[in-house]
Amino acid sequence: MVDFARVQKELQECNRDFEVSGIRVVPNGEANLAHLLGTIPGPLGTPYEGGTFKIDITLPDGYPFEPPKMRFATKVWHPNISSQSGAICLDILKDQWSPALTLKTALLSVQALLSAPEPDDPQDAVVAQQYLRDYQTFVGTARYWTEAFAMISSLGVEEKVQKLVEMGFPEALVRSTLESVGGDENLALEKLCST
Amino acid sequence: MISDSIANASIAMASSNPKDFGKKKRANRSAKLKQCKLDARREQWLSQVKSNGGCKEEVHGGGMTHGLPAGPENGRRIPIEKLELKPRVEGIYGEMHQYSDSESSPSNSPTSHSSSELGSNDSGANFTASSRSSSSSGRSSSSSSNGCFSGGISDEDEGGVGDDGCLDDWEAMADALAATEDKQQEHIPNSGLDSPPSEKHGGSTKYGSQLSVKDRPFSGDDISNAKQESGGTAIQKSLIHSQAWRPDDAFRPQSLPNMSKQHSFQLDSERHFGQGGSVWGCKNVGPVPKSCPICYEDLDCTDSSFLPCLCGFRLCLFCHKRILEEDGRCPGCRKQYDCDPVEGEATLDGGSLIFRLARSCHMTTTS
Repeated sequence: MVDFARVQKELQECNRDFEVSGIRVVPNGEANLAHLLGTIPGPLGTPYEGGTFKIDITLPDGYPFEPPKMRFATKVWHPNISSQSGAICLDILKDQWSPALTLKTALLSVQALLSAPEPDDPQDAVVAQQYLRDYQTFVGTARYWTEAFAMISSLGVEEKVQKLVEMGFPEALVRSTLESVGGDENLALEKLCST
Repeated sequence: MISDSIANASIAMASSNPKDFGKKKRANRSAKLKQCKLDARREQWLSQVKSNGGCKEEVHGGGMTHGLPAGPENGRRIPIEKLELKPRVEGIYGEMHQYSDSESSPSNSPTSHSSSELGSNDSGANFTASSRSSSSSGRSSSSSSNGCFSGGISDEDEGGVGDDGCLDDWEAMADALAATEDKQQEHIPNSGLDSPPSEKHGGSTKYGSQLSVKDRPFSGDDISNAKQESGGTAIQKSLIHSQAWRPDDAFRPQSLPNMSKQHSFQLDSERHFGQGGSVWGCKNVGPVPKSCPICYEDLDCTDSSFLPCLCGFRLCLFCHKRILEEDGRCPGCRKQYDCDPVEGEATLDGGSLIFRLARSCHMTTTS
């Protein structure tokens, strides 16, 4: 059974310093804390800068003694992240997991992975090849994917807010909810309905 | 008046004290020798365990609760000892003491035992005691009651001098404390410490006083013999004592009112926590976290004295067990809790067992 007391505290602590870290973890949909949605900002000075990446988190029964299952829900072009499934190749999410780590530290590690790819231990061989052979193309593709999938266009946000407000939710709540789920309209709606 | 009689008794019995004190010291010395052996053995055992400091501290902390209540009553200790010893010389005193012991204990109030009141009560106390001794046994002659009286007077002087000396000389004090340890155990309840813990002493106290009453008429050595017989507890107590006094002697008088309360588990563990923490601090392990970093539950005192890995990463016993069931690696440094920690783990469990045993032992000696 997942240690929900710990998860609850982790969420509180993580979201407390959201202003500093930019990392947020929220329950994903159901009241069940075993499914979470993390968001990390793309690190500055990388092709991922400016993007907000959503990470689907599933807590196994053994958490925190087993690592959380993390997967990019946002498409991302990175040697260690599957461009298809979003699977992450990161040792601390596998054999190097420690129960002393938390969701926040794990997400920080994922963020660090974005800024420091390890093409010699790839998850996505195509991306890794490109990274090693043609770095400029890699940067261009990564930048394009970031802009295409990870950025919340301000126009889109206003439309979504408008739509959700029409559904009868207060605007302030809609905005904060949209922000917390990284601008995804459907997630925001789910969250609004569940609260 | 009854309490007076006790005060008087303690004073009146004091006349033969130098010799007896010598004997007492001898008995105490052998007891201390045993103590040392036990202590050494325990240290040996515990030294294998990294967290032995905590456990040891716990033991001593527990002991301290014994020692400290008597702090300001130091003045009374010597008289008490004298009181205990005196009956060898005259059986009558033994009877009288027995009488006062059995009768006066319930009615005693704590205040009647403060040294100042003791002093102020002296004259009247002596008087009643002598009259009582004469009334309680027809054999007591006027000379004996006189002796009692004079003894009381001389004790008043001697008591004052002796007390100061003891307070000045901590080694002598510790000896005296150890020597009077089990006697005190008899008398502390009589002296009416009102706290519940002192009531715990009730059983042993009654037993103790009965024992000493029985012994008294026989011979002077009986008390030391009795002390030897009860060596187990006596040793433990005095060991506890000599160790427990040191850190606190500076402020002991002030903290004294609290000491009876320190019999309670809570304060005990707090004390242990603090001391254990400082010990670990000395070993450069870092501060003890308040809660387990794995399950976020509060660490209790057993957990906080538990150090499974050299890296200093602390966690609660539950999480540690859970980790051992899986990959068995320290969450802090990812190193295996290898043979050292595995062995350490076993002995650590033993250690906590000891610590628990020590506590229960402590309880059984007191209850």
